[in-house]
Amino acid sequence: MNGDALIVVEQLTKRYGTATVLNDVNLKLGPGQVLVVIGPSGSGKSTLLRCLAALEPIQRGTIRIDGTLAAKGDEDSGAGPDRASLKTLREKVGMVFQQFNLFPHLTVLENITLAPRRVLGMAPAEAESLALDLLRRVGLEDKRDVHPERLSGGQQQRAAIARALAMHPRVMLFDEVTSALDPELVGEVLRTMRELAEQGMTMLVVTHEMAFARDVADDVVFMDNGQIIERSPPAQIFAQPKEPRTRAFLERLLEREGRRDG
Amino acid sequence: MGDFQWARILAYFPDLLRGVGVTLQLGLISASLGLVLGLVLALMKFSKVPVLYWPAYVYIEFFRTTPPLVQIVWLYYGLPLFTGYDLGAFGAAAVALGLNIAAFYAEIYRAGIVGVHRTQWQAARVLGLNLRDTLRYVVLPQAVRNVLPPMGTTTIYLIKDTALASAIGTLELLRIGQLIAVETFRPVETLTIVALLYFVVTYPVALLIGRLEARFKIARVGAA
Repeated sequence: MNGDALIVVEQLTKRYGTATVLNDVNLKLGPGQVLVVIGPSGSGKSTLLRCLAALEPIQRGTIRIDGTLAAKGDEDSGAGPDRASLKTLREKVGMVFQQFNLFPHLTVLENITLAPRRVLGMAPAEAESLALDLLRRVGLEDKRDVHPERLSGGQQQRAAIARALAMHPRVMLFDEVTSALDPELVGEVLRTMRELAEQGMTMLVVTHEMAFARDVADDVVFMDNGQIIERSPPAQIFAQPKEPRTRAFLERLLEREGRRDG
Repeated sequence: MGDFQWARILAYFPDLLRGVGVTLQLGLISASLGLVLGLVLALMKFSKVPVLYWPAYVYIEFFRTTPPLVQIVWLYYGLPLFTGYDLGAFGAAAVALGLNIAAFYAEIYRAGIVGVHRTQWQAARVLGLNLRDTLRYVVLPQAVRNVLPPMGTTTIYLIKDTALASAIGTLELLRIGQLIAVETFRPVETLTIVALLYFVVTYPVALLIGRLEARFKIARVGAA
């Protein structure tokens, strides 16, 4: 089974000081699958993503992505990932952040070409044509020479997705990427992500957009208190959640959305 | 206006202009030295490696907290005594001022780098950029914008501090002014003209920094 899975998380425990943020998390994700992670704030979903991107040290367990060791608990025995495997990992994992984190002093095109040129050693012309392809894919071909400040939030986020894709990652991590957007801009970013999923990208998506989860996810994971409470296909988790905590969370969420619509 | 004798001083104008030239050279050399050394010190101070961090820490605190005049004197009189190596008055002043200002520039660089939001570092890291490329292409270009105003102020201080070189006999603007004042017995007029010439040298720096600020003006995207 591990042979097929792109992401394998085993017995992951992550603490900040004495606070346990992730508690014995186990997770597998096959190639081409889209996993949506939901849960109340503080449940550890964003931290899980940050651990997968090797942005956080972990205390216990292992994370492997496409066979490459991404992290190993520093309280466990054995060596963690070395420099070479971290470099491989960075090329395999793309990440998109809530706050876009584009480089404000560079144009959209330069934002996208920087890593392919500096990390993959791509020639400038090749990097540029790659970037232009990606900009067409996310519908920003006319914004190539614009600085991020001139873009709407939705456009910035699509540019950030293009920047991550430029490294040809095997896995894309999305950390609440629509949470900082005005409501009318959410749709364009979700559309881009939907297209990406249809093209077969392996995706791990932390989001509060339940419609996206329902339509795009292969599985939905509900997290609470640093643990995975339930993992089910969307049809099941939204209709008949197995766990009372999942049900309570979804009811609160639907109630809130009902109030917003009414 | 009574007793002022400007014309007498203006007769020495060619000498004063030579002083301006020396002052400019002192400023240029010490600023260049300080800008390069300051960046190195700032980066060392970010290091978790003790042999990088501590020398930078001690250097910065030492040069920040002792008078530049004393540093100039040490280098001019002390260095030949201890090493047999004589920089001359101009050289000692230029190097001492450069070493001194490096400490101040270092702290400005450091503040500028700290001011670049940590999410920018993370974005670079996730893309696989190594530390050198992250600094070169992501962090330092943004830090430049943060540091321009304090850099400008510090550089203006530096140019005025080149007057301290007069204490070891460097024939820069103030020293020449002093000599003229002694010769003419007109210190007020002479030093007023000297001050105006300092203004002529320093004000373009202020203008330049203002223009650079406008050029590097960028939105603080993602710094929410």
